[in-house]
Amino acid sequence: MGLILRRYGTLLGFLAIIVFFWSQLPETFLTARNLINISQQISMLAVVAFTMTIVMVMNDFDLSVGSTASLAGVVAAFLFSLGYPVWAGISVALLVGLLGGLFNGILVSFFGILPFVATLGTLTMFSGTAFLISGGKTIFGRDIPGTFSGFARSGVPLDGIGLAGVTMPFLSIMAVIVLFLVWFALEQTTFGRRLYAIGGNMEAAKLAGIRVRTLRMSAFALTGLGAATAGLMYASRVASANPTQGSGLMLDAIAAVFLGMTMSEEGEPRVLATLVGVLILGILDNGLTQLSVDSYIREILVGAIVVSAVAFSSISKQKR
Amino acid sequence: MTLLDLTHIAKSYGRTAALADASIDILPGEVHALMGENGAGKSTFIKVLAGIVKSDRGEIRFQGKLATIDNPQDAFDLGFRFIHQELNVVPQISVAENIAIGGPYPTRFGAMVNWRELNRRARAALARLGIDTIDPRTKISRLSAGDQMLVKIAGTLSDTGNPACLFVMDEPTASLTGEESERLFKVIAELKSAGASVLYVSHRMDEVMQICDRVTVFRDGRFVETKRTNDTDKDEIIRFMTGRDVKDVYPERTFDLEEHLVCRAQDVSTRRIRGLSFNLRKGEVLGIGGLSNAGQSEVMQALMGLDRILEGTLKISGKAAPQNPATAWEGGIAYVPRERRREGLMLTRSILQNTVLPHLRHLSRLLGVVNRRSERDMTQRVADIVRLKADSLKQPCYQLSGGNQQKVVFARAVGASLNLLLLDEPTRGVDVGAKFDIYTLVRELSARGCGVVLTSSDLPELLGMCDRILIMQDGRQTEIVETRDLDPHGLLSRFYAA
Repeated sequence: MGLILRRYGTLLGFLAIIVFFWSQLPETFLTARNLINISQQISMLAVVAFTMTIVMVMNDFDLSVGSTASLAGVVAAFLFSLGYPVWAGISVALLVGLLGGLFNGILVSFFGILPFVATLGTLTMFSGTAFLISGGKTIFGRDIPGTFSGFARSGVPLDGIGLAGVTMPFLSIMAVIVLFLVWFALEQTTFGRRLYAIGGNMEAAKLAGIRVRTLRMSAFALTGLGAATAGLMYASRVASANPTQGSGLMLDAIAAVFLGMTMSEEGEPRVLATLVGVLILGILDNGLTQLSVDSYIREILVGAIVVSAVAFSSISKQKR
Repeated sequence: MTLLDLTHIAKSYGRTAALADASIDILPGEVHALMGENGAGKSTFIKVLAGIVKSDRGEIRFQGKLATIDNPQDAFDLGFRFIHQELNVVPQISVAENIAIGGPYPTRFGAMVNWRELNRRARAALARLGIDTIDPRTKISRLSAGDQMLVKIAGTLSDTGNPACLFVMDEPTASLTGEESERLFKVIAELKSAGASVLYVSHRMDEVMQICDRVTVFRDGRFVETKRTNDTDKDEIIRFMTGRDVKDVYPERTFDLEEHLVCRAQDVSTRRIRGLSFNLRKGEVLGIGGLSNAGQSEVMQALMGLDRILEGTLKISGKAAPQNPATAWEGGIAYVPRERRREGLMLTRSILQNTVLPHLRHLSRLLGVVNRRSERDMTQRVADIVRLKADSLKQPCYQLSGGNQQKVVFARAVGASLNLLLLDEPTRGVDVGAKFDIYTLVRELSARGCGVVLTSSDLPELLGMCDRILIMQDGRQTEIVETRDLDPHGLLSRFYAA
C-alpha cells in the first residue's frame, strides 16, 4: 500500500483532479474541444519542461529558459520587421537559443559555476538583450507575417476520426514531436544513458570514461534550443513578441519536472513523468479558470500542490 | 597507578571483527604510541575511547576505577582530548575564535563579544604550549597546517570543564612538514611535563622512537605487545605489526611472463609525483607500495589520464598516455578507483547501468540507440566472470554488500578487452570470500596478457599478488623490488628506507 502510494501518489492525485473538474463541469470539461484546447494551452510549457528535463537528469537546472524564450521571439519578430523571410527569422531565433544554452553549458561545465548562479546571470543577460533589441516595446501587427502567426491558428482537421469541426493544433503537434525526440534521446540512446550516469554520480561517471564536460554542455544547449522553440510558438500564438512574454515559463517548467520526479522510485526525472507534471499544471489552470476561481488563488493552489507532492514523496523516501 | 586501562576490548560490525581482543595501559605523564597496519583496529579503538563507538566486550578503568564511555561527552568529562588528522578548524575565523569556539565567548554588556578578552585567553592558551609566534587575531586559514594543529591543541587546553589528562593524536604529522612536526614534538613534551599523557597513533617509526616512552602494537584487532621504546627497535616493531603468514590465500601465477610490454614509463612527473620509471610486461602484476599517501593513488591517476604529465614519457600499449579517462577506456585501460562509493558507483542505479557505463559505445547501433539485449548479455557475462551475487541485474547497487559492490566495479572493468588494469586498494572494505574471488580474477586476467598495476596498504596482499613492487616515498619513486625473496617485514623497512 505504502509503495503504491509512493509510486503512484502523484498519478492518483492527477486522476483525482480530473474527476473533480469533471464533476464540477460535466458539460464542458471532458469534451474533445476542451481537451484539445488544454493541449494547445500547455504546448509551450510542455516544450520547455521536456527540454528542461534533459539538464535536470544531471541534477542541473536552467533558470534562463524563460528569458531565452522571450529573446527568441523578439529576435524572430525583429528580423521579420526588417523584412527577412519567415524561415530566416525562425532559424536565427533557434540559433540564438542554441548558442545561449551552449553559453550556459560552458559556464557550468568549463568554468565550474553552479547552474543556479550561472543561469541566473544569463537569465538577466538574455532578458536585457531582448529589451535592447525590441526597444522595450511589443513588436506586433503588420511586422508579423501571416504565415508565422497562422501556424499557431491552424492544425490538422480531425473530421476523419469522427470529430467534425475539431482540429489538432500544430502547436500541440509540435509539443508531441518534442516529447518524442526528448524521450528518444533520454531513454533510448547512449547520450541519455550517459546523462543519467552523470546525475547518478558525476565523479564515478567521469572515471568510467564519460566525457562529462562535453555532455553537460550539449545538454544545456538542447535546453536552450527547446526554450527558443517554445518562445517562437508563443510569439506565433499571440502574433507578437515582447521581451517578457516567456518569463512565466521557467518556474512552471521546473515545477512540472519536480512533480514528475515524485513519480519515480529513485526520484530521477523522466520525460514521460514530466508530461504528467505538465498536464497537472495545465488542467488545474484550465479547470480553475472555467470555475472562475480568482487567478491569485489559482497561483496559491498550484504552488501548494507542487510543494505538497514533493514533500510527500521525500518523506516517504526518508522512511525507506 | 595507571591513568587508563583498557582490557579485552572487542567490537564487531556484522560478521567482521574490527577489534577482537585489544588492550592498552597508559601511565600518567607518558607518551604512548599505538601502532599497527591498516585494518589492525587502531581507529576503531580510538573511537571506543572517544565514545563514538560502543565496544561489545571489555573493560575500561580510569585511575583504577571502572568507567563507562557511552558518548563523546563522557570522554570529555574524563579529560580526554582528541586531535584528528583532518583539522576541524573553521577557516574563515581568527585563531582566537577557533580556540574559543567550543564554549561561550567572553562578552561585554552581556551581548557584545569582548574581543580583547577573547584574544587574551587565546594568547594565554598558546603560551602554555610555549608558543608566542602565533597572533590570535590572524585568520586561521593563513596559518600552515602545522600551526593550525597547534592552535587546535591549544583549543583543547582552554576548554572549560575537567582538565585534560589524555591527548589522543591520530596521525598528527601526516600533513605536516618536518619543521612543523618538530614544533609539535616540543608541544608534546610541554604537555608531558605538565603531567598529561599522550596516546600517539602513527605509522612513522622514527617519530615513535624519538618521542614515545612506550609502544603498543595491534594486529588484526588484537593486542600483540607493549614495549618500552628503549628496549626495542624498528625491526622488532615491524615484526609485531606484520607477524602473520597468509601467503597461501593468494593464487600463484602459473604461467611465464611474455616479453611484450604493456606500459613503459620513463622519468614521468606530474604535479604530484616525480621520477616514475618502470616497464610493465604483459601478464605482470606491478604493485605500488609505500606509507600512507606516499603517491600511490597519484600514480594511478597519471596512468588513467587524470593528471597531466609534465615531464618524461609514458606509453601504454605502444601509444601515448591517455589524455582523460574516456580515451583511457577506449585504449583498453580500466580503473577500479579507491573510494568505491564516491568514485566508483552510481549507488541508486542498477547493476546493469553501472556495469555498461564505459562500454555504451559498443552496445549501441545507429543514432546511438542502446541495444538492450547486448547490454543485458554483457552484464550477465561479466557478472558471472566476477562471481557477483545479486537478486537481479536490475537491483540498485546500494542494496549490495561492500564485496558485491566492489565486484560491480570489477565487472565494469572486465567488460572491455583489457590491456591494462589499474586497481587502487581493490579489496578495501571487502569480506574475505569476495577478496579471494577478486584475487582469482586478477590472476585470470593477467594470464590472458593484461598488465595489472595494484596499490594496497595491505602488505601481504601486495606481496602475494605482485611480481614486483614499485616503492613511493613522498610522491617520489625510490626503487622497484622483486617480491620473490621479500616478507612483509622486509617490504615495510623498504618503505621506511631513506
